[in-house]
Order: sequence, then structure tokens, then C-alpha cells
Amino acid sequence: MRKPRPQRGLPAALAATDHLGKQLDRKRRQESREKKLLKAEQGGLDFYAPPPTAANEPDSAPVIGPPVSIPGWFAARNWQPFSFQREVWAAMAAGKSGLLHASTGSGKTYAVWLGALAALYPNLLDAPLAEAETVKPLTILWITPMRALAADTVRALQAPLPHLGLDLRVAARTGDTAAAEKTKMNTKPPAAMVTTPESLTLLLTRADAKEQFRHVRCVIVDEWHELMGSKRGVQTQLALARLAHWQPNIMVWGLSATLGNLETARDALLGAQATEAVMVQGVEAKNIVIDTLIPKTMERFPWGGHIGIKLLPEVVEEIDKNNTTLVFTNVRSQAEIWYQRLLEARPDWAGIIALHHGSLDREIRDWVELGLKEGRLKAVVSTSSLDLGVDFLPVERVLQIGSPKGVARLLQRAGRSGHAPGRVSRATVVPTNALELIEAVAARQAAGLRHIESRKSPEKPLDVLVQHLVSMALGGGFVPDELFAEVKGAYAYRALTRAEFDWALGFVQNGGALSAYPDYHRVAPDEHGMYRVPSQMIARRHRMSVGTITADSMMHVAWLTGGRLGSIEEGFIARLKQGDAFTFGGRVLELIRVQDMTAYVKKAKRKTGIVPQWNGSRMSFSSELAESTLDVMGQMHAGHFDEPETRAVRPLIELQEKWSALPGPDNLVMEAIASREGHHLFVYPFAGRMVHIGLASLLGWRAARDQPGTFSISMNDYGFELFSAQAFDWKKLIREGLLSEKDLLKDVLDSLNASELAQRRFREIARVSGLVFQGFPGAPKSTRQVQASSSLFYEVFRKHDRGNLLLSQAEREALEQELEIGRLSETLKRMRSRKLILTKPPRFTPFSFPLMVERLREAVSTESMSSMVERLLGELEQAADLE
Amino acid sequence: MQSIQLAGEEVVLCGDHAMVWSARRTLLVADAHFGKAAAFRARGMPVPAGTTANNLARLDALIDAHEVERVVFLGDMFHARESHAPVTLAALRAWRERRHDLQLLLVEGNHDANAGAPPADLRIELVGEPYIEGPFAFCHHPKPFMDRYVLAGHLHPAYRLSGRRESLRLPCFWLGEQVGVLPAFGDFTGTSTIAPLAGDRIYAVADGRVIAMPGERIAPPI
Repeated sequence: MRKPRPQRGLPAALAATDHLGKQLDRKRRQESREKKLLKAEQGGLDFYAPPPTAANEPDSAPVIGPPVSIPGWFAARNWQPFSFQREVWAAMAAGKSGLLHASTGSGKTYAVWLGALAALYPNLLDAPLAEAETVKPLTILWITPMRALAADTVRALQAPLPHLGLDLRVAARTGDTAAAEKTKMNTKPPAAMVTTPESLTLLLTRADAKEQFRHVRCVIVDEWHELMGSKRGVQTQLALARLAHWQPNIMVWGLSATLGNLETARDALLGAQATEAVMVQGVEAKNIVIDTLIPKTMERFPWGGHIGIKLLPEVVEEIDKNNTTLVFTNVRSQAEIWYQRLLEARPDWAGIIALHHGSLDREIRDWVELGLKEGRLKAVVSTSSLDLGVDFLPVERVLQIGSPKGVARLLQRAGRSGHAPGRVSRATVVPTNALELIEAVAARQAAGLRHIESRKSPEKPLDVLVQHLVSMALGGGFVPDELFAEVKGAYAYRALTRAEFDWALGFVQNGGALSAYPDYHRVAPDEHGMYRVPSQMIARRHRMSVGTITADSMMHVAWLTGGRLGSIEEGFIARLKQGDAFTFGGRVLELIRVQDMTAYVKKAKRKTGIVPQWNGSRMSFSSELAESTLDVMGQMHAGHFDEPETRAVRPLIELQEKWSALPGPDNLVMEAIASREGHHLFVYPFAGRMVHIGLASLLGWRAARDQPGTFSISMNDYGFELFSAQAFDWKKLIREGLLSEKDLLKDVLDSLNASELAQRRFREIARVSGLVFQGFPGAPKSTRQVQASSSLFYEVFRKHDRGNLLLSQAEREALEQELEIGRLSETLKRMRSRKLILTKPPRFTPFSFPLMVERLREAVSTESMSSMVERLLGELEQAADLE
Repeated sequence: MQSIQLAGEEVVLCGDHAMVWSARRTLLVADAHFGKAAAFRARGMPVPAGTTANNLARLDALIDAHEVERVVFLGDMFHARESHAPVTLAALRAWRERRHDLQLLLVEGNHDANAGAPPADLRIELVGEPYIEGPFAFCHHPKPFMDRYVLAGHLHPAYRLSGRRESLRLPCFWLGEQVGVLPAFGDFTGTSTIAPLAGDRIYAVADGRVIAMPGERIAPPI
């Protein structure tokens, strides 16, 4: 007899509920129908995700009686408007733009939405409408960073309308919207449209865009803190600048979590309009609780590592005690591991605990989110994929596995819990090693002092500008002088020079005056000097690639028997051989074959597999948290062990002080240790791992200028290790300028393989500026004749158009974002100003041990490609000898 | 550069993605894709000019270094119809005039079929595959042909060399039992990773050096 087969395409836990499988099958059939339709219609960029399920419909609302006023609607639901909500309503009724910020989610949506309605009908704030009103043209735009949130938002916005006596159609238009629906929307737009930055830009590429947006009076940007730091935020700024160009009186509102630089957040959103704008503070969660799951015995608790499975029994206990718990991890691999271990510990939880991360298929994530909303799930292990979005009311408990990395992130995660009235929001840090106990204290103190991270808007990214120029040429055409003024109205381009603008224009027009691009045009002026896109094919290609701002080379993961599981980085699959087992979506899979960008798998017989390390999934340690961590260590150095966490780590801290010295706000601790292997130097600048990579390479390179590649390097958020076969006189080297800022940029570039970093940055730039094109869905092979990888473009520009500003942008982004050169130089300055304590501990200290372990995992090499080849061959030989 | 025995003949594998058959004073290159950049530009993709000149300079260097009298293109010499652009052809004609004694043979590849025959004044002998000579069959598509050793292109082969932590993709010569595939010669061409069989010989190119990959380490194909 065959065993019953697991439900295809679902993790074990999900397959346990039978009706769900049927539901998904039905959806999948519908999907495939719609997909075919989509191809036939060819309607812009359409990634597919299933429509909301019937179960997603709002609960039964109060019976609709005669129209009520806005306060009346609140009263009917037994709600009392917060004072910040009244403030927003009044400001919007007066036509003002602004930014509304709060550390938790409560009440922000209805503040701005009802405010937008009050802007249309100011009397609604005092009295019901005299008669029912109908709003026909597209009047309000609601921009959300995630299309997955659109459906929930539409429902929330619709809820008050019938009670207010307003006939106003709300609809979502995102990449998920079916092509037929979009076509309908083009002739009959909704009065309020919920959309994403990409879909909005796509609408702006329509020749009749100006006509379409003629009546828009109000734009609301949700989760602005999430958008503002990225190129998608810049895309939003440019779209807003265009709308403001058409409608100088347009009202713009942003919703944001608490940030350290709210003024900048407001200015970045509102651009030239920021002067008249208001800033409103929402409910401040004074009673957000940050605490720690303290290990019962510290003796056996690890000094290093980042999985933290040691506290599994305590975590199980916490989950057991509460109805619904969210378990946040920092990286996907950690989420996979924790999910598996929880299931192993409690097999009876199969079906009621789930996994949620960005690589899982959309429908699996939808199912998890729905389960959370309906209170059906006991626990969900998640990465930042659940940081955003509509609130999941029943969540009682939030656990954070490992370092929170940033104050704002921890506050936001805490805000996921305790939404019911009278409850507090609470996040509990589950330390994965002893030092993380200190970070929990640091996060608590920083939150108390409102030391919260800032976000920066990118500065004049030319790739986004290049894309925008083509978009605007499609969207009715442009005159360069006017468009230059308009673009400068966007915050990111306030310092754009005319020369830079003209370069970008030249790059899309004919390659520019100084370089040779014979017979090339993407846009060209017509007889009236209006710049347009001359070719239908280019127009089509551009519309397809608008919005592919972020997309790594991902491969689908699918069952051999059919059904998709999600996607995974191509690089990971490439390292596997047929028959290898790996963990994904909470189960162990065996790789069968790779074909057409899909990895076909079946369930593995083995119990354990390799856990994929998703690239770029490491979060960086914020400087606010780093500062606060140093402060806490200063307190401990002064003998204050007042917090439960510091009391728990006290023995470890005392050991560190005894063997070496405790890093703190006023000193720079270095430890030189000689072991059987060689010579170790440990340095603790507390600047985050990205800065430490740069610093370690820089110091290593400066210490041994004539012998590159002599050091192997490891780093974590606290410090780094330089390991070498020979001994160095560090005191002397520091006196001679090891920490100097002189020639910093040059030395950093020389010490690291900087061109490879720039090439990595160029991948995104090539995609955004429309050089790399993914191809039309189902297009014939002939389109491949204009496909080339970003690395080919990078090479060809470097060889034949060295002055290309996109190359300079890649180099700048590599320095600023990959290496954080500003923070690096700041760190060097601080290292010099602090008192240097160089110790020679008898053995590895509590702070050096984790770095020592880390080195086995990571290394930064500074060698040339052919010597790397020799080394890799050597490794292979060695591995062969061991077999 | 690396001298090896192939089908009983001595051939030289060059770090600049070409092979020299010493006995016949012949240079073999695959997938030159002349005019690929021009085809991109014609379709609205900004690729700077200069790749053709660079390709020709590399050919010149190889011709002089190995004193060959003939160049055999193993298919895909031209990228697309738009590749017969005035700038591209002018550069090729000037080169042909300087190299008027050189024999040129093109084994038609899939891209050449789309692009159309090269202009007559370039004096390139166009033949279909396979073109038999000595122990070899010159082809574009790497398919075995009777008892000859096939030399082909088409795949733009690259070998993935994986270590414990990192991996590299390197353009390579992939020499199987019956078929040998050359790396793509063209300046503006990509690569695709191959899945060799046990027993195949792989010579990867890194920094212009030709390095033999250890045969027994080659992973089975997925």
C-alpha cells in the first residue's frame, strides 16, 4: 500500500489541512487561465499572484442606516477618535500636506483616509452629508510598498464609505491585477486607486497620463519609511513631482514609522512642497516592553554563534503559553532552522505553526497571513517579510531570535503584538549567544531615549533618472528644460546639475556627444522639439521593465510532480549536485534536475539537508544600537549591573575584564593573541560587520603593504580579527599611521577587490536603466538577440566608454552602500580619539572567541583571479586526499 | 597558452579564446559575433562602439604570434542582420585590406543564417557544417560526426570552479571524446555554464592563462 501523498506544493504543516489543498488547487486552475489571458492581452508588467480568497472578506459590518458624519461613524463603532486623528482631519480639510508618524500601526489609516474624504467634503467633520454623494473621476491615490497589502487596504478604505453616504469606488491596481480588469479601469477608473510605485510609474507611461490624472487631488503614501531609503522611493518622488507639475495644489500625505530623521522623511516625500506641510505624531507607544528570555544557566550558554537553538525549550514554553506568537529571525536560513526544530520538538504542532519568508510562494504566504488574522495559527516563524502590512490582531507575543540589529526594527516588531485595547506591545529578545543579552539592554535604553535610526534617500541616482526619461517620453513626451525643472523638484534630485541631466538625456537619445554610439536612439525629439520614443518595440520593452527595480537572479523551486514552492537564488542551486538535499520552506528536498530556471525537487529521504544562505540577507547593525551597546558596557565597567540581562552576563564580563579589557565608549580595545595556528589581532570598534570588512582589509593591507593576501580576516558586528602567520608590532604600526584617514579612499580601494563590488552594484543599475532586459513572457527566442548580462555591459562600458556616469554611480554605490565609507571614516576618527588598550590575553576571551569561530566560515581575499583559481584547485586536491 | 594532442594532432589552446592547428598554420575561433553591439544599438540598447576594433586587434595579435595563414570561424561570425552596419563593415573591410593574403573560412552558424551571407568583398568562403579536414570536422553545433573529431562553438562554454566558500565561472575549452567546444571569441558575448561528463578535458581561461581543470573532480551533470 502506498502512503497518502503529501499535498503538492505545500509545506508539511500546510498540507495537514485538507480543505486548503482543494482551495489552492482551484486557485491554481484559475491562475493558469488568467495567466493565459494575460499573455494574450499583453498589459504591461504583470507578475502573477492569486486574488484574495472569499474567506478574506471583511466581517459583517454594522447595518447601514442613514448617513453619519466622520465622528458619527467612529461613535457608531464605539471608537473614540485619537487627538492625532482629529489633527490630521483638520489639516487635510484645510488642504495641507504632511507626514503622520507613529511607532505602532494603530489608527493611521483612518486618520489620512477620512482626512482625504474631509478634504472633498469638509462638512463631514461636523455633520452627515445632506444627501448621498457620488465621486466619479480618479481623485485619490493610495501608494503602498507591497502589492500584497493592496487587497487588505482596499477593504479597509471601503468600510466607512456606505455609512458616510459616499458612493466612491475603491480599487487596487498593482502587478497582481488581471489584465482585463486593468483594461476596464483605463476607461472607467475608480475614484480611489490603491497602487504601488511601479504600477503608478507604469500608468505615467501612458500617452494620455495627464488626462487620466487630471482630477487627482490627494496622494497618500503608506509605509513611507520603508520606501524612502530605496530607489523605489526615488521612483515615487519622481511620480509625485510629475503629478505636482500637473496639479500644483495636490495634497500629499505620508505614513511613517518613527524614524530618527522625520524632517528629512517629510522633505523627501513632499519635495518642493515641504514648506507648507504639517507633521503629526500618532499614538506613541510609551509602554512598549522590550525584555529578554534569559537562559536559566549561563555556564553552558555559548559565547558565539548565531542560531541560538540552545533556548529552544524556553521558546517552546513561551509559544505554548500564548494563543498566537510571532517568532522573528534575522535571516531566512535561521527561520528555516527554527521552524524545523520547533516541529521536531512538538510534532503535534504540525498544521498550526507555519513559516513565512520572502522566498516562499505568494499563495503560501497568503495562507499564513490569513491564518494569523483568523487566529488559527499558534506560531509563525518569520523574517522581515512580516515586518510590513496590515496588523494581525490576535498576535499576543513577539519573540526576536538573535540580535535585533536596530532599534526601529525591534520597536516595529514589538508593535505587531498587543493590539487589543489595554494590552501592551512587547518584544522578547531570544539571545543566540551571551553577548546578545547586552544588546537587548542597549535596544531598551536607546528606545527609551528615542535614539532611533535614520533613513536616507538616495542622492540623484542616474539609473532611475534614465528610466524616468524614457517613461516621460512615453507618457506624452517632454521638453528638456521643463522636465529638468520638474525633476529637480524631487528631493533626491534637488542637487542635480544640468550637465548630469544632459548626460542622462544624451544616454537615452544618442549615447551622448562625447562617446560613440552610432545608429542608437531610445528617445528622439519630434518636429516640435517634444522628446518621444520612436519605436514600438522600445516602448514595449520599457513598459515591461519599469518596476523591475529589485530582482535578483532567482530560480523557481517546484515539485517534480508539479506545484511551485517558491524561489531561491540561482547561485545556491548552482552549487548543488543532483541528489543533494537542502532545506526549503520547512522541509528537506532532493534536487532532481534543473531546467528552464526551475529547480525540480522531490521530498528527500534524508532528514537533514543543506540550509541555503540567501545572499544579502544579513542586516547591518545600526550605529544607534552600537552606541547604546557601548554605553551599556561602560555602565558595567563602572560596576552597574542593574538590569536582569547585565546581571546574567556579569560573570562573562568580569572574565573579559580579568583576561583583557572591556570595550566601552571611551576606549579602543585590541587583543593580540598567539596560538598554535599563528598570530591573531582582535579589534573592537563596534561599527557593524560591513564597516569591519572594510576596516579589516584596510588595516591588513596597510600593515603588510608589500605582502598582500597575508591576512585572513573575520568580522562580526562588534569587531574583527586579522590573522597572520607572522607577528606584527601593532603599537608601532598605529604610531606610524595605521589608523590614519590619509589616502583612505585609495587605500580602501586598493585593499579590497573594489571593481568586483562595483560590478555587483552595476547589476541593479543595469536593470533600472533598462540595459538588461528579462524578455517578454513567452517571447520567441529572437528577442534574445538583444539580451546581455549586466557584467557584459559593465565590461563594454569600462573598455569603450570609461566616462559613462552609470559606472561612476556603481562605484559610488559600492563605496557608500557596500562599504559604508562615511561610517568607516567616522569610525577611524573615533578609534584614534579613544584610549588605546592593547592587551595580550592568555587565551581567547569572551569577545574574541566568537570571531575566532567566525573565521572558519568567512574570509575576504585580496588575490588576483588566477591565483584564486590555483587556490580553489588546491582546495579540491585537499578535499580529494581526505576522501 | 597550452599545447595539447587532439585527434593525433598538435593544437595550441590560446588564452585569448582561440585554437591554433600548428601543422596547417590555421587559427580557429568560434562565436566572434561581429556587429553584436551594432545590432543592440539599432534596437535601442546603448552599447558603445569599439568592440569590433577590439576583436580585430585581438585577431591580429593571434595571427602574428602564431604566424597563421588561415582563420576558420566556427560559426556565428556575425550576430544579426543589423550587424552588417556601415561602421562594422567598414572596420572589417579595412582589416581585410591589410590582411589580403589571409584565407578566411566561415562554417555557417545559426546567427549567420539569420544575418545573411557576408559581403562578397570580404572574401570569406562560406561553407555548411561539417567541413572535413584531416582528422577534424569543423562545425558550429557540437554534434558528433562519424569518425571525425568535431571542433565546434555555439555553446559559449564556461566552467564553474567551486571551492569551499566561493566559486568562479571561467570561459573554457571543453574537449570531449568526440567533440571539442571552443570558448566564444567575441568581445561582447556571454557564457553558459557546462555540465561536463567524466573523462572530458576542461581547460579554463583566467586572466589570459589557460589552466587545466582536474578531470576526476568534474561533477556529474544535473
